Amino acid sequence: MARELGAVNWRGLWTLYAKEVRRFLNVSTQTILAPVVTSLLFLAIFTLALGRTIPSLGSVSFAEFLAPGLIMMAILQNSFANTSSSLVISKIQGNIVDLLMPPLSPSELTLGLASGGLSRGLIVGLSVGLGMWVFIPIGLYDPVFVVFHAVNASLMLALLGMVGGIWAEKFDHIAAVTNFVITPMSFLSGTFYSIERLPGNWQLIALLNPFFYLIDGFRYGFIGHADGSLWVGALVVLTVNAGLWTLVHRMISTGYHLKP
Amino acid sequence: MEPNPSLAPRSFGRLNGRGVWTLIYRDLRRYWKYGVESIGGPIVSSLLFLAVFVLALGGQGEAGGGLTFVQFVAPGIVMFALMHSGFFNGAAPLVHDKHEGMIQDVLSAPLNAFEVAAGYGLSATLNALVTGVAVLAAMTPFVALPFGQPLVALLFAVAGAALFGLTGVLIGLWADKWDHYSAAESFLILPLGVLSGAFFPLDSLPALARTLILFNPAFHVIDGVRYGLTGYAAWSPAASLAVLLIADLALAWLVWRLIAIGYKIKP
Repeated sequence: MARELGAVNWRGLWTLYAKEVRRFLNVSTQTILAPVVTSLLFLAIFTLALGRTIPSLGSVSFAEFLAPGLIMMAILQNSFANTSSSLVISKIQGNIVDLLMPPLSPSELTLGLASGGLSRGLIVGLSVGLGMWVFIPIGLYDPVFVVFHAVNASLMLALLGMVGGIWAEKFDHIAAVTNFVITPMSFLSGTFYSIERLPGNWQLIALLNPFFYLIDGFRYGFIGHADGSLWVGALVVLTVNAGLWTLVHRMISTGYHLKP
Repeated sequence: MEPNPSLAPRSFGRLNGRGVWTLIYRDLRRYWKYGVESIGGPIVSSLLFLAVFVLALGGQGEAGGGLTFVQFVAPGIVMFALMHSGFFNGAAPLVHDKHEGMIQDVLSAPLNAFEVAAGYGLSATLNALVTGVAVLAAMTPFVALPFGQPLVALLFAVAGAALFGLTGVLIGLWADKWDHYSAAESFLILPLGVLSGAFFPLDSLPALARTLILFNPAFHVIDGVRYGLTGYAAWSPAASLAVLLIADLALAWLVWRLIAIGYKIKP
């Protein structure tokens, strides 16, 4: 007799989510501690290299300006890595069928995988923030913006990771997307400098990068200063996430690069 | 019946040159096979670092020795890419060979421990140099480097490539899985590479750190290459070279001995 699942297969959804979270907790040295160390190293070199030359912004020191950007960068890279590696590994090893066969709808698959990436992004973000807090003062200006942008950033990159992971046939493809798309977009999005320092055209380009709004709004939550409009930022972020969610849902329901 | 001469044991002389070259050549081809990532990746990330420094500073800023900050940091970025590439190209082939069981092909070939060590070590060194030269070439349109003593820079680059290539081989021998490789990369190579004076002038450090940095071999690599490319050195280039040669020889000896006793590669 077929099992009755109701409108949502909660147990299946939870199982998928738990699997995604255990996947990265199992290697937490690599997935949580390593990003903390890397971010602290970035903080050290950029403060040492640029700290003296860059004037502080009002009452905020360069390190305090930089810290939210670096936390956000760790969130972006790790939530992307979580979903993309999970899907590519499953595809290469063939256990992707274990995702496709169970009674999980495309919406449940999207939600389960994306929540795994979201959790990784938030846990890494929190760990990096705590790691930095040991060395520099990190104040909270408006926690609502911090949480809103941390959640949306993790979700955006988790969804992007799913798009990449579903598209990719092998690890090289994911490495290429990371090297040539994700890293450049996160580097050139105002992590390390205020975009007010950029020449005119570059400023315009920065405003077209959705990662810019993630970092800008997130930083506003800490230091109370934003380069762009906060409402435009929130709107862009929500729109991009809705669009990505629809795309991922569509890819999974059509079986693009997933089903034979 | 006369033995078939083609079945007689081959004689190699003192060094199985063809065998060593075959081993080197295999890893050079592996490198080229993934050229987009092995060369394109470091070029993009290095140019991003440069862009961040240029954009954040507007190309301004002094870094001592009459250099602009961007001139100061460019050799550091190049060497960071080179050293990381050396580590990767030293470790990855070994981890891969061990993982896939192909290490047997190397161990059963008529190569002694010295030749195996030379094969893995030299291919990593050469691949790292190719990465370094490619990154430097990609950077020259954006940064005016004087190239005062290119041969000195090359000498230090070779010493640095060997240093990190051999470190990679060492980690590759030790690592049982990719997790171990990643751990060494995150907790050993990145800190050594980043806290080396690649990205900041020495006088931005407190006095104690300025002494401690002398114990980081990456500092000597970067300082020497920077001296060759820009004429500015924070420490004595001759002394740095001596430190690097001693470190290279010690590492090469260690790798050779570990391969000879079959450390983690023979049952």
